[in-house]
Amino acid sequence: MRALLLCIGWAISMLAVPAAAADRALSVTIYNDDLALIQDLRDIEVKDGRQRIEFQDVSAEIRPETVSLTAADISIVEQNFDFDLLTPAKLMEKAVGKEVTIVRVNPSTGAETKELAQVLATNGGVVLKIGQRIEVLRDDGLPVRVIFDKVPDNLRARPTLSVTVVGAHSGTRRATLSYLTPGLGWRADYVALYNESNSKLDVQGWVTLTNSSGTTYDNAQTLLVAGSPASADGARPVAYRPQPRRGTLQEAGTESGSRERLGDFYLYPLAERTTIANLQTKQVSFLDVQGVPAEHGYEYRNHWLGSAEMPISAKSVYSFSTSAHAGLGDQLPAGILRFYMRDKRGDPQFIGESRIDHTPMGSTLSLATGDAFDVKVHAIVDKRTHLSVFDWQTEMRYELSNALPRAVVVKLIQDGLWGDSSIKSESQKSTRRSADAAEWAVTVPANGKTTLTASFETKY
Amino acid sequence: MHVRRARWLQTCAIWLVGSGVSAPAAADILAEPPSDLSVTVYRAPYRNSGSIDLNDLEGFALVSETRTVRLPAGLSLVKFEGVADGIEPASAIVTGLPQGVIEKNRDAKLLSPSALIESALGKPVELLRSNRKTGKTERLAGTLKSDSGGVLFQTAQGIEALRCSGLPETFSFAPGGGLSAQATLSVLVQSPKALTRQVTLSYLARGFDWAADYSAILSADGNSLDLGAWVTLANSNGVGFPAARTSVVAGKLNRENGEVQPIDAGGPILASCWPRGSTSDSPMILRINGLRREADKAVPMAARALSLQEASVTAGRVQEEQLGDLKLYRVPDRTTVASRQSKQVRLMDRARVPITTVYSADLAANETADAAPASRLIRTMNTTANHLGLPLPSGKVAVFALHQGETLLEHESGLRDIAVGEELEINMGASFDVLVSALKETSTIDPARTEMLPLVPGVTLRRVAVDAVNRVDISNAKPTDVQFELRLQLPPGARVVRADHPIGAKNGRPIFQLQVPANGTATLRYQTQHTTERVT
Repeated sequence: MRALLLCIGWAISMLAVPAAAADRALSVTIYNDDLALIQDLRDIEVKDGRQRIEFQDVSAEIRPETVSLTAADISIVEQNFDFDLLTPAKLMEKAVGKEVTIVRVNPSTGAETKELAQVLATNGGVVLKIGQRIEVLRDDGLPVRVIFDKVPDNLRARPTLSVTVVGAHSGTRRATLSYLTPGLGWRADYVALYNESNSKLDVQGWVTLTNSSGTTYDNAQTLLVAGSPASADGARPVAYRPQPRRGTLQEAGTESGSRERLGDFYLYPLAERTTIANLQTKQVSFLDVQGVPAEHGYEYRNHWLGSAEMPISAKSVYSFSTSAHAGLGDQLPAGILRFYMRDKRGDPQFIGESRIDHTPMGSTLSLATGDAFDVKVHAIVDKRTHLSVFDWQTEMRYELSNALPRAVVVKLIQDGLWGDSSIKSESQKSTRRSADAAEWAVTVPANGKTTLTASFETKY
Repeated sequence: MHVRRARWLQTCAIWLVGSGVSAPAAADILAEPPSDLSVTVYRAPYRNSGSIDLNDLEGFALVSETRTVRLPAGLSLVKFEGVADGIEPASAIVTGLPQGVIEKNRDAKLLSPSALIESALGKPVELLRSNRKTGKTERLAGTLKSDSGGVLFQTAQGIEALRCSGLPETFSFAPGGGLSAQATLSVLVQSPKALTRQVTLSYLARGFDWAADYSAILSADGNSLDLGAWVTLANSNGVGFPAARTSVVAGKLNRENGEVQPIDAGGPILASCWPRGSTSDSPMILRINGLRREADKAVPMAARALSLQEASVTAGRVQEEQLGDLKLYRVPDRTTVASRQSKQVRLMDRARVPITTVYSADLAANETADAAPASRLIRTMNTTANHLGLPLPSGKVAVFALHQGETLLEHESGLRDIAVGEELEINMGASFDVLVSALKETSTIDPARTEMLPLVPGVTLRRVAVDAVNRVDISNAKPTDVQFELRLQLPPGARVVRADHPIGAKNGRPIFQLQVPANGTATLRYQTQHTTERVT
């Protein structure tokens, strides 16, 4: 019983730090570009008059200039962010001119001798004044303990936020501390299972949030914002993102959904409060749609009117709609879509992944999962003739091969038709998707080959 | 006295930890170890040919684990311990849980000395200080004050720095803190009643790779070869997969290089003290070597050099099946994909594949080149008529030849993915005996075909037709006739107008095929014509 009382007393003394997280409600809003807004609602103990309130358990990556504290009957004098860290060397440095206790341990008997010493200097080594004599600490290599009385006020184990306020009257009150911090981010991850027999796609969407801000957010109400607010000062480094290799969005959608919005951003609130631990990756489901019609096709892009030394695999492409009719029926926040397909035993196997950008509802997506092993295209320049100074004629031959036991259709794109390029003759009618690119839909029979020829005239 | 105080403090610490964690009332449930495992290994997405590098496995695997989970009624946090340390947490799929999953978590922080110090910051710890002479260990209750750039603690006596006194000192920590020793994925799930379920956890993990390793044995007459291949797969994860259903997938997949939060196995504890200069030496910083050594044991798995344990060989050939646009090869029996192991399974064995041998040179037209070795190429078509006709996944091919009853290695080269019906070409490297040199004999401009195009006053563009006659000499020091193939790289708009050998075309480029007699030479002449513009 006595022990328990002792315990409680001791525990209270341990917890008696200013602005302790006793009764706290956290809400965390995470944006896409490594930015989060933290709103920290807690009870603070305010005395009458001017005082300093320290806030622990805030993000270690806090942007101190964005901090705002609001509470009833207080006025804020100043906000400080102290990042002078408490280390043994700093502690000794701050003790210059002050007294410390040294304990010498006799190496032969183990007996301790206590002495008071004044720290004179810490330049390179510690110089002490003991009584009327001057010594260098541990110069002889014998064990000497140094005991300090207290930690200087502005040294802390972690960077600490403090606010100096003037309280109108003493008492506990509810305060809201809000600030922006990097180190928290989210993206979407999709699992798409493609059924080859009926060309249907089952899609699950998960939001993946990561926390590397150095702090754990306990029991926080979490809201994810699909969008990245522009940073006004530009101080925040913009993460490098490689440009997509091919356009995945075939047609931008024009449908509205029932999701919450904030301006032009979509909001994804988490249903329940959750704890976002430091260095944790957390996933919460937000989408589960079954039986979306999807199309599987092949695509090959020849980037310029050139030959390849060997046949090159066509891309394996899956396209589907995000429309409410015959589609996913939702907006898709940016992320990675992973495709799976069942093998002969019925086990799902991974067949490739593709990154998507924020996609409005009603869009058509066409995602490449990888290269087709059995469907290849060999582009060959049969003849290139110099017609006049700036005028060339190029005869192209495309050999398409298919080692699959079924016929396939390959979307063949001849890109890089710069300048004034026209097709003089071709073995199959092309469509011109832009001035720079011509496109054919070529059927290749099962275990067979198809040859397509075209003659281009290019003027510069 | 110290000992007594420490004991009640320890009791308190346990009581505090026990009561503090109860905020969301989720029961911690440990999933049983996997009862069924399946591992599908994918190749490094950017490698076109060649073998795997055991020190840097850049492929990945899809791992599926079936585990038994005993859920109580209500909210529980199911922990899957011992997943591959290369796990991509965002790819994890959990199926078989009753109400579905509320959330999935992967904590990157593992249990390590530095993680212990970090999590004990501001909390009670016990300091152990030993007397070297008497051997007595003193136990002091205290609080950890700082762990940045040195460790500071406070006891009833005051504030001290860890291990700056020269005495053996360390901490003893209160249990709890929830850090796992192994990579762990946890799932928060709500169950209406207590039940036992078989749960499947699937995820992608890095640190795997595979390649095909072909060995071809040339027949004595050089007209056929026997082609065999192994599937070599390797796992550099710290976790092994016993009795797993194992397959490998050939074909090139799209992979987005999404960042994965690496496992934090804890860095070294940097316990620096105050300046420690003495009157006899230059200033230096004292570090705690004992603790650092302990921390070194916990270096991230991936950072460690992969030590090849063994290369075990399994009998039985893999079975091929179509997976979308990829090829899946299934290892017939369950096998153990052990940690840091490379494993080989037989892919194929084909005998008497007819081949043709060609010596080949690739030259830029109208350029003079000194005698250089031709490349020896072995060619065949990947068809059933040629005893092949199966997809050949990329890898490395080693060609052996018989020599006095022994098989000796002749050449090693890379092989790309080859579909059925495609040509298989194995490069045998530079030839010792067949050399090729090229010479431009004449270069003439035809005045009858010269045009003058005035550009601006004073500057005229002269369009000229250039005719070049080239000679190519091929020497053969072999006692047999060889087939030779010359491929030309023409400047844009140029064409071959005349040649003393028949001209063909391959891949849009002119090609000459001729026979070079045994211990003899052959000469080939060709004339090209192209137009070019010159400003005069």
